[in-house]
Amino acid sequence: MANVLIVDDSSTMRKIISRSLRQAGLAVDDIFEAGDGIEGLSVLGEKNIDLILSDINMPNMDGLEFIKQVRGNGNSVPIVMITTEGGEDIIKEALASGASASIKKPFTPDQLNEKLGGLI
Amino acid sequence: MTLNAVVEASTHLKEADMARHVIDATKEVFSTMIMMDLEDSFPLQESVNTFHCSISGMVGMAGTYTGILAIHCPQSLALKITSNMLGMEVDEVGEDVNDALGEIANMLGGYVKMVLSKGGMDINLSIPTVISGEEYTINAMSESDCVVVPFTHEQERFLVSLKLRKE
Repeated sequence: MANVLIVDDSSTMRKIISRSLRQAGLAVDDIFEAGDGIEGLSVLGEKNIDLILSDINMPNMDGLEFIKQVRGNGNSVPIVMITTEGGEDIIKEALASGASASIKKPFTPDQLNEKLGGLI
Repeated sequence: MTLNAVVEASTHLKEADMARHVIDATKEVFSTMIMMDLEDSFPLQESVNTFHCSISGMVGMAGTYTGILAIHCPQSLALKITSNMLGMEVDEVGEDVNDALGEIANMLGGYVKMVLSKGGMDINLSIPTVISGEEYTINAMSESDCVVVPFTHEQERFLVSLKLRKE
């Protein structure tokens, strides 16, 4: 069972992702939430996280900077970008910075299962 | 009220094409994330700036194209939308409803950005802004450079508007 961290400035989206993870039937144990990259780094320092789902477009510290910071700290936890920023260049930059995959909003639980099944 | 002529020339999209993108995006978001089927109507010929007992979620675009994508929704329908999104009963306008309308605007803005942008780096989306109240007026840019599409769900109507200019 995996511990998952959801990083998104929208509390509604965090709830939707959390519900979708449960509905997708993935082996998820605890789900932790953070409102931006800074909060995400703080949670990572306190909890054992097996998978991160992160938005890109966030205040204070956006998703791209968050990935760079996580990798810069030597953490290899899988990071999946969940974003409306579906442009190829942004996805390429996220992957080059260390993201494992990306999922475009809107999504269904089945699509989450397909993307995340191999990561947890 | 039409799509800006420079935008039409640059994107090779007519007003009807842009309206179709707005319709497709809105229906996809509502069917996938909100579990609501929508009926769309012909784009409005005049803009709507004043809203009553409503809530508006907006996201700005800046870069090759600048503009605002907004969803304007009666509060009663916004409660239903938020309840469906969260899978729980929401009976008052507050943080959850504001967040939901902002997130819908964000997803619609992302869809439009993908239509307009070649690689995604030439247009930036703002953090969503949400306004609600018993009566409020929104004025932004030219009134003419705009596509406004009405949608209906079970006799309740809401609007999705897209104002665009080429920089």
